[in-house]
Amino acid sequence: MKVSYKHLQDLFGGKLPSPDAVSDALTFHAWEIEEMTKVGDDTVLDVKVLPDKSAWALSHRGIAKDLSAILNIPLFHDPLAEKPVLEPISKELSVRVDTPGCRVYSAALIRGVTIGPSPAWLKEGLEALGQRSINNVVDMTNFIMFGLGQPLHAFDAGKLSKLSIAVRAAKEGEVITTLTGETYTLLAKDTLIVDGGDDTPLGIAGIKGGKHAEVDIQTVDIIIESANFDPRATRLSSQRLRLRTDASTRYENGVVPELSYFGITIAVQLITKFCGGTLEGYATTPYTSRAPEKVSVALPKINSVLGLSLSSTDVESILKRFGFVCEVVGDSFVVTSPFERPDLVIAEDLIEEIGRIYGYEHVPSIKIEPIPLREVNKRFYYAEAVRDALVAQGFSEIFTSSFRNEDEVKLKNALASDKEYLRSSKGIVENMKEALAKNAPQADLFGTDQIRIFEFGKVFEESGEREVLVLGVQSKQGYVAKKDKKVLDTALEAVQGVLTGAKGDGADGEPFSIDFTAALETLPQPTAYTTHKKTPDVTYKPFSNYPYLTRDIAFWTPVGTSAADAEKVIRENAGALATRIDMFDRFLKEERVSYGFRIVFQSYEKTLDGIEADALMHTVSDAVRANGWEVR
Amino acid sequence: MKPTGHLHPLSHIIRDINSVFAELGFVFADGPEMESTKYNFDMLNVPKDHPSRDMQDTFYVECADPLGEEVVMRTHTSPVQVRYMERFMKERAEGKGDFPIRVIVPGKVFRNEATDATHEAQFYQLEGLMIDKGISIGHLKGTLEYFFAALFGGNVEVRLRPSFFPFVEPGLEVDMRLTGADAPAKLKDRWIEIMGAGMVHPSVLRGAGIDPEVYQGFAFGMGIDRLAVMRYGVDDVRLFYNGDLRVVSQF
Repeated sequence: MKVSYKHLQDLFGGKLPSPDAVSDALTFHAWEIEEMTKVGDDTVLDVKVLPDKSAWALSHRGIAKDLSAILNIPLFHDPLAEKPVLEPISKELSVRVDTPGCRVYSAALIRGVTIGPSPAWLKEGLEALGQRSINNVVDMTNFIMFGLGQPLHAFDAGKLSKLSIAVRAAKEGEVITTLTGETYTLLAKDTLIVDGGDDTPLGIAGIKGGKHAEVDIQTVDIIIESANFDPRATRLSSQRLRLRTDASTRYENGVVPELSYFGITIAVQLITKFCGGTLEGYATTPYTSRAPEKVSVALPKINSVLGLSLSSTDVESILKRFGFVCEVVGDSFVVTSPFERPDLVIAEDLIEEIGRIYGYEHVPSIKIEPIPLREVNKRFYYAEAVRDALVAQGFSEIFTSSFRNEDEVKLKNALASDKEYLRSSKGIVENMKEALAKNAPQADLFGTDQIRIFEFGKVFEESGEREVLVLGVQSKQGYVAKKDKKVLDTALEAVQGVLTGAKGDGADGEPFSIDFTAALETLPQPTAYTTHKKTPDVTYKPFSNYPYLTRDIAFWTPVGTSAADAEKVIRENAGALATRIDMFDRFLKEERVSYGFRIVFQSYEKTLDGIEADALMHTVSDAVRANGWEVR
Repeated sequence: MKPTGHLHPLSHIIRDINSVFAELGFVFADGPEMESTKYNFDMLNVPKDHPSRDMQDTFYVECADPLGEEVVMRTHTSPVQVRYMERFMKERAEGKGDFPIRVIVPGKVFRNEATDATHEAQFYQLEGLMIDKGISIGHLKGTLEYFFAALFGGNVEVRLRPSFFPFVEPGLEVDMRLTGADAPAKLKDRWIEIMGAGMVHPSVLRGAGIDPEVYQGFAFGMGIDRLAVMRYGVDDVRLFYNGDLRVVSQF
């Protein structure tokens, strides 16, 4: 939520430290600040109020109250300090609630307002929070919502058939046009605010006001609504209608019903002050407040969870900073939750409040002592053994997507139409084929002419979920039965060396899967992991997306010339575009050694021209000859 | 030319994670990727129709769970916490083993959100859980410092901030900073937001059959992909899942 530093400052009577200090205080003791922006002479903080605190902290008052505890500065003015009195009772206005979707409905009738533009401070205050100014009355209701957290709504009393408001369940298919002109078709589980006389819909409860009784320039008498709607019902309606508003967000987070009384009295006070008019009276529905929650927590528990050694005095002073009513009974603290804080229910809730205000930076770290391992993960143990066996066979491991465009098990809400299904064992084999097809043409980049890959992964079928191992081999030019099948067969044997009796499921020579979950069943439970060295700290180099070129060179060298010597000459002369130099051939004949090298040229900036590669090879050949070696 | 085989970078990291934690006695636990809402949400204190469910955009699966539960692709590895605790308590009742519980869960999770260089709809998460008498936030801090030092090298500082996850209370956000001569240059001397953590919520313990008056502990969850991005400097998490050997062959 967007928070105005100036508005906070007003609640502290000017005693707040700088916006940066406020931001740090909130970050380390309450919640994150996503952004800080200068707006005119104000600073706006985008505060990421956490879900468990959203019932009371989606408001300037809530955030100020927390800051007061964090910074240990009392609020200059707490709008919730005094219990509001809804008097006089209106003689003309009546309200009626006919649905459990509304927990309490308070309203006030103000006669003789003057609708006009808002005063500058109000307009600027709302604009700083990213809100558009509409007119003085509407702006004031919004301002109070952002200040206090209680959503409000103003109706033009003159547009009602009588001075009566009712709240009821919507009828199936009932249609309402909102203030901004969109129409919504409702279901019986939605809640409507209606004209108590002729039943005309006036607003979607807790979400958005309707067009029918909109306050406009001709409005003279207004009815202010300060109600409370069921969090769950509001959430379901708002989700289904895809209509999320500042009001609905507050209701679905469980803002408390009692706040409606504060909202209505503050609204009357500010509207009559800034928009003219006089209060005729209030109307409200009966509501019984829940008994205040008493939460008890013992000092040893606090310290044992937080890892601190707080004294009783430390804890008491923190609880006092919140202004909690607190009794000390033995080593326990019994806190009466303030009415606006439904989030304080269990001991751990209080422990959190104490911990974050005291500061987690004071928690010393404790080293834990090693204990013997209770069990070895059989699945992981054998998967690791298979990985090692396959890597030794020149296979590399890939991870492919769990989603496919067509398969057995469908998602209800896919990200995209080509990711609507979960992969089955056939699907993962298709993934493998796609990976082979993608990698094979670039085999030279990996210093080979044959791609060998495997994947371990979960597959999803009507029968359920299991893990499979997939193997695939493909030569650069496409599948070569003679060469590729042999490698695949050998790999299967290597896998069978670990997974005794495992069988491949697939056509001869094609990539195939092995039911790893089934293969595990017959294997003995391992008792210790194979120890591995820590894996290398590689720094990844982004690859080029431009095509590469290859050039081969073969030359005779005298006996005693090592492959490394030969490669060095090439590397020093092939230039920076030579991304790989791989030896593909070496043989001894008539007291000479012949070397064959393949050089892969690739640029990060462009598609290489064959002429450029040839020119580089020319330099390489010259250097080879300069060594006295004979280019073949 | 026989190619050189390479492990996937995430397999390298999971291998290292397991080595570090196995030494401390943390069991590698796993569970299904296709999960019931009971384990993915309810048992983790994430109420139905509550805004906290919005924290994780969920893929729902078109299939009927035998128990009539909705089926989702797990949005986190946390359901395995519950599954493990249930199994542990059953075995304990049969006289097989006793506290502490020390578990890690490296596994694949799913989020229904738009993908970009730092977000994938599927990624790997590492869950950690430790339950015993008197386990505190101090143990969490110590365990994480030990783990990060082993994985990244250098001196590790861990900084905790308040946060919220329904299955913990208090909830914490964890930042890490590596300093000293051994610290990798690309990560050195700056605070990095690395994961969520907290003290396991008593409702979660109770739900799994553990008495929260006697036992307590910490849980943490972090992205393994993110650890890999930090450790190796991979610039796009989607590269881990496209089957491209130009990535894998570097590891």
